[in-house]
Amino acid sequence: MDQLVFALLNGTIYGLLLFMVSAGLTLIFGMMGVLNFAHASFYMLGAYFAYTLEPLTGFWAAILLSPLLVTGIGVLVEKFILRRVHAFGHAHELLVTFGLSVVIAELIKMGYGNFPVDYRVPPELRFAAFSISGIDYPFYRLFMGAIALVMFAAIYLLLTRTRVGIVVRSAIYRPQMVEALGHNVPLVFMGVFGVGAGLAGLAGAVAGAFYTTNPNMALELGVVVFVVVVVGGLGSMGGAMLASLLIGITNSLAVGSNLRPADLFALVGQRDWAEQIGGLMTVQLSSLAATLPFLIMLIVLVVRPSGLMGEKE
Amino acid sequence: MKAKIFLVAIAVAVLVALPWLVSTPLLNAAVQMLIAALFAMAFSFLCGRAGMLSFGHAAYFGIGAFAAVHAMNAFGGAGLLPTPLLPLVGAGTGLLGGLIAGYFATKRTGVYFAMITLALAELLHALAPHLKGTFGGEAGISSFRMPAWGFTFGSVTEVYFLTLAWVLLCIGLLWLLGLTPLGRLALGLRENGHRLRFLGYNVHALSTLVFAVSAMFAGVAGALQSLNIEAANYVVLEAHVSTSVVLNSFIGGVRVFLGPAIGGAAMTFFGYITADLTRVWLLYQGIIFVLVMMFLPRGLVGELVERFSGGERRSGGTALLDGGWRLAGFAMAAAGCVFLVEFLQRFLSTGYRATATGENWPPIELMGFDWSPGSPLTWLLPAALLAAGLWLLGAANKRAAAQQEALA
Amino acid sequence: MTFSSLVRGTAASALVLMAGSAAAEPLKIALVETLSGPQASTGLLYRSAVQYEIGKLNEQGGFGGEEIVLAEYDNQGGPVGAADRVRAAIADGAQIILQGSSSAVAGQVTEDVRKHNLRNPGNEVLYVNLGAEAMELTGEKCHFYHFRVSPNAAIRVGTLVEGMREADALGERVYAMNQNYSWGVDVQENTKAAAEEMGFEVVEETLHDVNKIQDFAPYVARIQAAHADTVITGNWSNDLLLLMKAASSAGLEARFGTAFLDQPGNVGNAGAVAEGHFVSTPFNAETNPDLSGPFVEDYKAATGHYPSYVEPAAAFGIRLLGEALGQVEPTEAGVDVTALAQALETVSIETPMGELSIRPEDHQAVLPMVVQTVSRDAVYKADDTEFGFKPVKLISAEDAAAPVQDSCEMQRPG
Repeated sequence: MDQLVFALLNGTIYGLLLFMVSAGLTLIFGMMGVLNFAHASFYMLGAYFAYTLEPLTGFWAAILLSPLLVTGIGVLVEKFILRRVHAFGHAHELLVTFGLSVVIAELIKMGYGNFPVDYRVPPELRFAAFSISGIDYPFYRLFMGAIALVMFAAIYLLLTRTRVGIVVRSAIYRPQMVEALGHNVPLVFMGVFGVGAGLAGLAGAVAGAFYTTNPNMALELGVVVFVVVVVGGLGSMGGAMLASLLIGITNSLAVGSNLRPADLFALVGQRDWAEQIGGLMTVQLSSLAATLPFLIMLIVLVVRPSGLMGEKE
Repeated sequence: MKAKIFLVAIAVAVLVALPWLVSTPLLNAAVQMLIAALFAMAFSFLCGRAGMLSFGHAAYFGIGAFAAVHAMNAFGGAGLLPTPLLPLVGAGTGLLGGLIAGYFATKRTGVYFAMITLALAELLHALAPHLKGTFGGEAGISSFRMPAWGFTFGSVTEVYFLTLAWVLLCIGLLWLLGLTPLGRLALGLRENGHRLRFLGYNVHALSTLVFAVSAMFAGVAGALQSLNIEAANYVVLEAHVSTSVVLNSFIGGVRVFLGPAIGGAAMTFFGYITADLTRVWLLYQGIIFVLVMMFLPRGLVGELVERFSGGERRSGGTALLDGGWRLAGFAMAAAGCVFLVEFLQRFLSTGYRATATGENWPPIELMGFDWSPGSPLTWLLPAALLAAGLWLLGAANKRAAAQQEALA
Repeated sequence: MTFSSLVRGTAASALVLMAGSAAAEPLKIALVETLSGPQASTGLLYRSAVQYEIGKLNEQGGFGGEEIVLAEYDNQGGPVGAADRVRAAIADGAQIILQGSSSAVAGQVTEDVRKHNLRNPGNEVLYVNLGAEAMELTGEKCHFYHFRVSPNAAIRVGTLVEGMREADALGERVYAMNQNYSWGVDVQENTKAAAEEMGFEVVEETLHDVNKIQDFAPYVARIQAAHADTVITGNWSNDLLLLMKAASSAGLEARFGTAFLDQPGNVGNAGAVAEGHFVSTPFNAETNPDLSGPFVEDYKAATGHYPSYVEPAAAFGIRLLGEALGQVEPTEAGVDVTALAQALETVSIETPMGELSIRPEDHQAVLPMVVQTVSRDAVYKADDTEFGFKPVKLISAEDAAAPVQDSCEMQRPG
């Protein structure tokens, strides 16, 4: 029972982290129709900036300043690169962000070396929040989860309850009309892209200390974040939250189980047959954990292509 | 038209004569380039012609590669499948894989299509290590090219000719396919799928077919690679194989017929040359790609074709002069940029940081000279080169634009 | 030291053609490593070790009165690039190929070398495997021209549990946590195999995806539930770091026995989390300090850093190769590779850790191993932290050796 509680809690927190990274991505997609391949790179930049700033400013200032820097970079990328490519179509925008992700990864390697850097959770935050039957639960995990929840609430309120939110949302549907009403749509786009990048940067600054900060961290998280956004429904903030939790919890439960596909056949009395087939049938679910997100994405795309909470194709 | 045929004939003649023109390592690189060219062509049949951006073409390349290795081991290069015909296995399995995957993927369009192809490829890549019998685990499956038809297939030259024959055949077939109704309808898919549907065509079946054909040629490319390296490893299913074919094709230009092939060959060659020269060649590759996407959206070949086929209205002389200025500006900016990157890379390397202690900053050797990190010259020179190059580029562009306007 | 790292393609092979029979060729050695891309970090370490030792050999007069030429090739991280570069190296006249990182690449290189030698009798090339540790390289895939100078999974795990038991750190309940590919499976199998002799029980074994898991907390919960005293893991790089960090933040008491904890960056990133965990490697600078000290200081003077991780084993391997080169006469083409391979089977050298040799049955190095633990008392600190690796036990080459695998059927020349 305790195990289950832990698995659920772990899964939820991991899901919330995924949400932190994918929130910006889904915001940018919903807004501009750009699937930003460089998004996970902003996550990585956030972690490295925070690592660089920490000795100068301390941990708290670092995780606040680093997202701001990443926002700045996001704004520059939008203004000088994406805007130029916009006229050539979505495929080009997507590809140019892909090129950027390569460039960012290589620059990070050049500046910080190939190995992980020693960016760690500060000692004052390194304590157990509570413990169940001998297992401590680190406070920092709860802290990350709380930041994600605050982020979700803030974005939600900003989009639905403020004037800025109204302009942003309407610019998604009718950019010309919004422009005709006297709003600066390019500025709105730039702002959204910057904020989206900044959110990823914040996630990186916070999570980089808990996990590891290394030049491959964008690569490792990049694809999963895509999966989250697609499963949730491109552009849907609530969907991204739902999908993040779904993937986080499935992952956590799968790791904890010894189930094999062959065991499913036991339900219809065919376990021996399935075991004879071997191959995938006898692989433990726990070793397939990283595969599950793709399976989920495939099923969702085929059954409900607009995603869990997406509106239209 | 005649000029085109003439150009192609010359290109083929050069390719056939290549083994007598270049050294063995370069011939090796040429085999890789041919395979990359065919793979990019296969991808572009789907992406350029039918407008479906696939992020998972490594899957079909890999399927072809593994099928060929298994066939090589099963038949021993004799009987029904002598060594030169092995790519047929790649074609068959690629087609089959493409039909199945295409059936699901082409139910959707746009970004969703791209994501399904990505998911399928990632799924295969994630499952492959678990299926040791089929994919050979981490060490992969190894094989041996057996002699057939009087050739031993032991030398690079023989492998080169085998690859060349298959690649030319496949590119020829792709060209012919473009002339058939299927090829024309694929264009229609790209331009307006809804309209095709209204005209009574079964769009889903059509896209599945186009997808499968593309996968089939990708499978041939995979099989050729297996033949070349006599092994297959599940790393061919990795995402970077999928993405590099996208990059190569777009750098060449997906919408001109031979653009992807030239892009694939050129980038492979670029990787071959620079990988041993600099440790950060991936950075250069990324920068080149971003620049091409920003300034030459039709790709290198696409842009050239555009220039030569009537877009230009000025007299040849001034255009040439402009081109010269642009080239000079570009070369200067590139030189400045390369210098800066290489210097920074050495400056920031752990080896250098370990030797530099306190006030002592030893000079760094680059391009035959010693450069001190403390001297302003070291930083001013590349910066000046970069600035001058960019200024020259800007000036040339402005002049060209002004002249165009004056003529209009 | 002059390294013509840019000796490439056309120029080099033109040289080969022109030189012809005039004078004896200098011996060419090719390092086919991953020097760019995500996995470059380890490849660059091999590079510095190889450059250092070849430089030493050249200082001592090279081979046959000429400097040994070291050419570097970037395999771009994968078997495909490696296959291409091995061919290029052979075409450039290289007779010895060095490679170490990634068993996938090693699998390709060893097969390519085997095939080349089958097709070109009399013009063989030698493959010195500096660090790819998959068992099958000296098992199913073993052949006469492949030599591994590093330990393998059996040696790593065998020495690790022995050292940990001696330090009273092993406990009775062991959890095997590994990456799901040949290396991880090898470690898991060897952990189970050692259980009876070492008196512990493998309470649970888990294989997980390689470099894809971000959150190890669920795995740690499993370890906790199994009440394990010790976790034996072959994980490396990020998979190891994340696992240890997750374990530490969950307050897990279990000790870790690892194979690759000494990878640069690990201790720096994990900090106090790594303290008290174990690793078994072929070298520790604190062991036999009068011999090790000069070596590491000289290494640092030449390369800018102390040798760590894969570097010592690779360096000693090249030294062994140099010893074997001393036993054979130079020929017109450079060296008689078959004679060199035969010499490699018989020579042995004294490294600061003890005797290093290669056994003829499967060409696996027989080398001493040092079991060590992360401690504040260590003399040589890792990654500029207050921690370093403190030796616990030096296990002699004989005791460390693992039995020859039955699957190795080596075809010997002649």
